[in-house]
Amino acid sequence: MARIKVHELRGKNKAELQGQLKDLKAELSLLRVAKVTGGAPNKLSKIKVVRTSIARVLTVISQKQKSALREAYKNKKLLPLDLRPKKTRAIRRRLTKHQLSLKTEREKKHEKYFPLRKYAVKEIATFFMDTVNSYHLSVKSETLSLGSDH
Amino acid sequence: MAPPRAVTATKPKKKADGKTQALKVAKAVKSGSIKRKSKKIRTSVTFHRPKTLKKAREPKYPRVSAPGRNKLDQYQILKYPLTTESAMKKIEDNNTLVFIVDLKADKKMIKAAVKKMYEIQAKKVNTLIRPDGKKKAYVKLTPDYDALDVANKIGII
Repeated sequence: MARIKVHELRGKNKAELQGQLKDLKAELSLLRVAKVTGGAPNKLSKIKVVRTSIARVLTVISQKQKSALREAYKNKKLLPLDLRPKKTRAIRRRLTKHQLSLKTEREKKHEKYFPLRKYAVKEIATFFMDTVNSYHLSVKSETLSLGSDH
Repeated sequence: MAPPRAVTATKPKKKADGKTQALKVAKAVKSGSIKRKSKKIRTSVTFHRPKTLKKAREPKYPRVSAPGRNKLDQYQILKYPLTTESAMKKIEDNNTLVFIVDLKADKKMIKAAVKKMYEIQAKKVNTLIRPDGKKKAYVKLTPDYDALDVANKIGII
């Protein structure tokens, strides 16, 4: 039997996949008998190949089934639990984005009537320099007075 | 002082309504059409929970999207036949086949699996668990099947 390719498997429908699965399992049982009765090495090495092919077929079957189920539940409100996002237990119990965004009527009104305003201050440079200059003048006068006393 | 009501027009109407209602009840009592609710007599000292309605389940969504596949099918149950000397003796003398089976399989499952796999009918199945943890099944076939032929067909000689 040729090596099983997954992209070929994905094209098959459910009945064909189940049939292929049956054939592979039957082959595996024959190989196991051969193992017990001291079979040829080419048969014994085939066991691993057959086992992995069975795994591939089962994977494709389950993936197809899952995607079909998700399609079926696409627009329904309540999903089965294994189709819901898994994430972590704590994350599933958090408040949803919508629930966090909810505000009371009072809060909404407050935001409407007293929004956060944006503003800018004009002429700060001249104001600052005036205060600095006046400070220097006052300091100078003080020192002069001190000097005269001495 | 009565609290102010939104509709005061109904007040006089109520008075008249009460009178007519009283007259109506008096008439009913006189005629005997009103049955007095009888007090239930209790014949036992203990109080037992009264039976209430039990509704069957009607889930809004299945908890599991699809039931899982049967993982113990006939290929999984019968692992391999035994080819030891004592097993060979059993084939020739007692018309039985000896298999190593899955630990979770019971005699009924083994009987059905053997029928499915090799198209033979089992008369009885004896099982034991080996010291190495595997289950061994002695499958005695019905007289119309020959264990030697079946063994040749399977591949154990």
